[in-house]
Amino acid sequence: MTNYIGKAVKRVEDKRFITGKGRYTDDIVLPGMTHAYIVRSPYAHARILSVDTSAAEAMEGVVKVFTGKDIAESGINGIPTGWQVNFKNGDTMKEPPHPLLVSDKARYMGDAVAVVIAESREIARDAGDRVEVEYEELPAVADAKKATEAGAPLVHDDAPNNLCFDWELGNPKAEVNEAMSKAHHITTLEFVNQRVIPNAIEPRSAIGHFEESSDKYTLYTTSQNPHLTRLLMCAFVLGIPEHKVRVVAPDVGGGFGSKIFHYAEEALVIWCSQRLKRPVKWTADRSEAFMTDAHGRDHVSKAEMGFDQNGKIVGLRVKTYANLGAYLSTFAPCVPTWLHGTLLQGLYTTPKINVDVTGVFTHTVMVDAYRGAGRPEATYLLERLMDTAALEMKMDPVELRRKNFIPAFDGVTQPGYQTQVALQYDSGNYHGVLDRALEMVGYEKFRKEQEQARKDGKLLGIGFSTYIEACGIAPSAVVGALGARAGLYEVGQVRVQPTGKVSVYTGSHSHGQGHETTFAQVVADRLGIPMDDVEIIHGDSESVAFGMGTYGSRSLAVGGSAIVKSLDKIIEKGAKIAAHKLEASEEDLEFAEGKWTVKGTDKSVGFGDVALTAYVPHNYPAGLEPGLDFSSFYDPANFTYPFGAHVAIVEVDQETGKVRLKRFIAVDDVGNVINPMIVDGQIHGGLAQGIGQALLEGAVYDENGQLINGSYMDYTMPRADDLPSFEIDRQVTPCPHNPLGVKGAGEAGTIGSTPAVVNAVMDALSPFGIKNLEMPLTPERVWRAMNS
Amino acid sequence: MQLTGTHKFNASATKIWSKLMDTDTLARITPGVSKLEEIGQDQYKAIAEVKMGPVSGSFSGNLNVLDKQEPRSFVLNIKQSSKIGNVAADVKIELQSISEHETDLSFDGKANMSGLLARTGQRVMSGVANTLSKQFFKALEEELASQEG
Repeated sequence: MTNYIGKAVKRVEDKRFITGKGRYTDDIVLPGMTHAYIVRSPYAHARILSVDTSAAEAMEGVVKVFTGKDIAESGINGIPTGWQVNFKNGDTMKEPPHPLLVSDKARYMGDAVAVVIAESREIARDAGDRVEVEYEELPAVADAKKATEAGAPLVHDDAPNNLCFDWELGNPKAEVNEAMSKAHHITTLEFVNQRVIPNAIEPRSAIGHFEESSDKYTLYTTSQNPHLTRLLMCAFVLGIPEHKVRVVAPDVGGGFGSKIFHYAEEALVIWCSQRLKRPVKWTADRSEAFMTDAHGRDHVSKAEMGFDQNGKIVGLRVKTYANLGAYLSTFAPCVPTWLHGTLLQGLYTTPKINVDVTGVFTHTVMVDAYRGAGRPEATYLLERLMDTAALEMKMDPVELRRKNFIPAFDGVTQPGYQTQVALQYDSGNYHGVLDRALEMVGYEKFRKEQEQARKDGKLLGIGFSTYIEACGIAPSAVVGALGARAGLYEVGQVRVQPTGKVSVYTGSHSHGQGHETTFAQVVADRLGIPMDDVEIIHGDSESVAFGMGTYGSRSLAVGGSAIVKSLDKIIEKGAKIAAHKLEASEEDLEFAEGKWTVKGTDKSVGFGDVALTAYVPHNYPAGLEPGLDFSSFYDPANFTYPFGAHVAIVEVDQETGKVRLKRFIAVDDVGNVINPMIVDGQIHGGLAQGIGQALLEGAVYDENGQLINGSYMDYTMPRADDLPSFEIDRQVTPCPHNPLGVKGAGEAGTIGSTPAVVNAVMDALSPFGIKNLEMPLTPERVWRAMNS
Repeated sequence: MQLTGTHKFNASATKIWSKLMDTDTLARITPGVSKLEEIGQDQYKAIAEVKMGPVSGSFSGNLNVLDKQEPRSFVLNIKQSSKIGNVAADVKIELQSISEHETDLSFDGKANMSGLLARTGQRVMSGVANTLSKQFFKALEEELASQEG
């Protein structure tokens, strides 16, 4: 009956998703609901000279038009950021205001200028076209490095040179320079980790509902993070008491990070609803999603890695300009710093590392966490350096990695590995994943094939990426010291109903990860009851006590651990009740298969019986409270550190420059696995997105700050026919510090895959002497490189 | 977006110049233009309907003729706005006499687009601009021919 853990149980939530019965924010219709359309700046940078709403307000069906002036006059605050990163000299980072609607200047194409509220979406939209905004277009800058140059247009007057912060981590520069000066060989790469657009299948949507009768507010929103959204919106933006606000994130159709953040539209619909005493719904269209959902990546880096004559790394020096966009989104300052710099140890024993990051404002939409956030950028940098160094030093990239790997450690009998960049890895076996990947590739055979292919004029290449990531975000005390303005624990409540059915409330929100299945597997296994008896409830601040949401591959490692803590309390209390019923001592009982048994006898009492007794306590242990319901907060002791080895094999068409990904091998170690099918699915999805960045995707802003590929006609998402059938396998090195031994799998695919693909293309192009090309490796870019 | 093109007309530079400076003619021969109104010395108000691939819109705004070197060259300064985005362009138009009855007309300029137009229309824009300028040249040719006839 039990033993669900480790089984590929089909996802219980899929029944409603694949039959069209999912309930998303935009599906919700409330009585008297109005519809909002946001008038947005067509310019990346413009002074707003005037806003005339009279023609729009005169239209039949228009309820009201609010402008930036109304917002400014109401005295509410702008959208806050959740992380503080300071300048090297200790000065606080620049944190310019981000009003819900702007009144003075638009700072990116899509900045919100006015909102039209009408009886229907169509009327709101038509009326939006009649809001006359007079702009004075100003020069704009979209490129992070250019934005720091003298004379660049300023995004915010109080952020000179557009600097938000400049930050460094690791060993002092002098020590790293010293180590580098003794290097036998230095590999230097300068590259752009291009901006990508998350493109969740469900565009963002929010409904604000103020109920005058109870003076209460409900926000329905497409959020990965409903409780944090409530906290930020109530305490920092609107100044509404938190206990008067309920935030519901129902089914959410993907996010990959882009729905973590508290967006201005969420606070705006609540503010409008309070003014109008009617529910207000806003739903982005696809075009709006392209231009207003927080984007990812956008780093310009110079990275240098020094080696001794044997190929041992002696030092790493990195300078990065990180584009933050026009305003600071919720996690923005943390992504290029603490989620990027801290991962530059990689899997290697590099003794000296210095990373220097300049965070820059530009006239573009906000940049924040997107699948992997910071860690893909770090991995790209390291793994590109490794394959390039191997090429330059005429070494095998596999050998170069093996020489530099941190030796295996389990984190239990052997200590964790202390990096040069703040983190302590929990457990790892890096040779293991690489060896398995090579075995799957058939490495030696491949190299022979490649040699033959080159003779035949075919451009065949292989690329490696051995990555590590920091997941299970995050120990509160650690992140607090690093500038986080919130704790990053998770909450899990287990409520056993009188009939023995179990309701589980988790603060970790599912927007496609399959919590309702994986978490139920854990609960059913621990309690020894059928999965059907377990319901996972998430996404509603009214029913779930608190939560920190879903991101950073934290749900199972942190959210799951909180549930396990509550399950332990349930079993412990259940034993007291069972002992009373069995007239035995608690110590003589064992709990297995859903019942407490007196050891060595056939006397037992079942879970359901104990649950009923807890709620009908007629014959009950003295002094014990009735009920069987526990809530726990779990604050992790450390991050978790999944790792893996990814290998890409590509063939480049010499005539057209088209890259064909022939094989992709991924061996990941994500710790223990609860549901292998769900983990496979998450790895597959991650790989698709990572490969998408390598070959297809990239946001393009022109010199005026216009996003010129803001639609599916021009922005290329990876599709099934761009991808081979993935060859994946797993190694299991349990996490030593959480009860499930899990590490997290949501981001692994994205983090590892991108550099493997680019390395493979560079390997294929090595006969041309091409060492580096910027992503995405489109046919045009590859063809030009081969023909120049 | 760069705007460049050239076309040979069988007419004198003076004749072409006079056509280009005539509001009624221009309104008639410029593709998409539904209204062209002189609002001051070398200043015009224009309304145009343009369909560009996936986006179409009604544009309104000003045209200014600058730096007139009759009959050799002038600069057309265009500022048009629409609900799908705005266009701002400076285009230099030059007339080069080849003979008394032959003139090369060339234009060279740059257009900046914003909004939905930039986001979704950009890649079809140069094609659209080429088509529009071809239509314009053809209409101007016919206009010149009809005058002669």
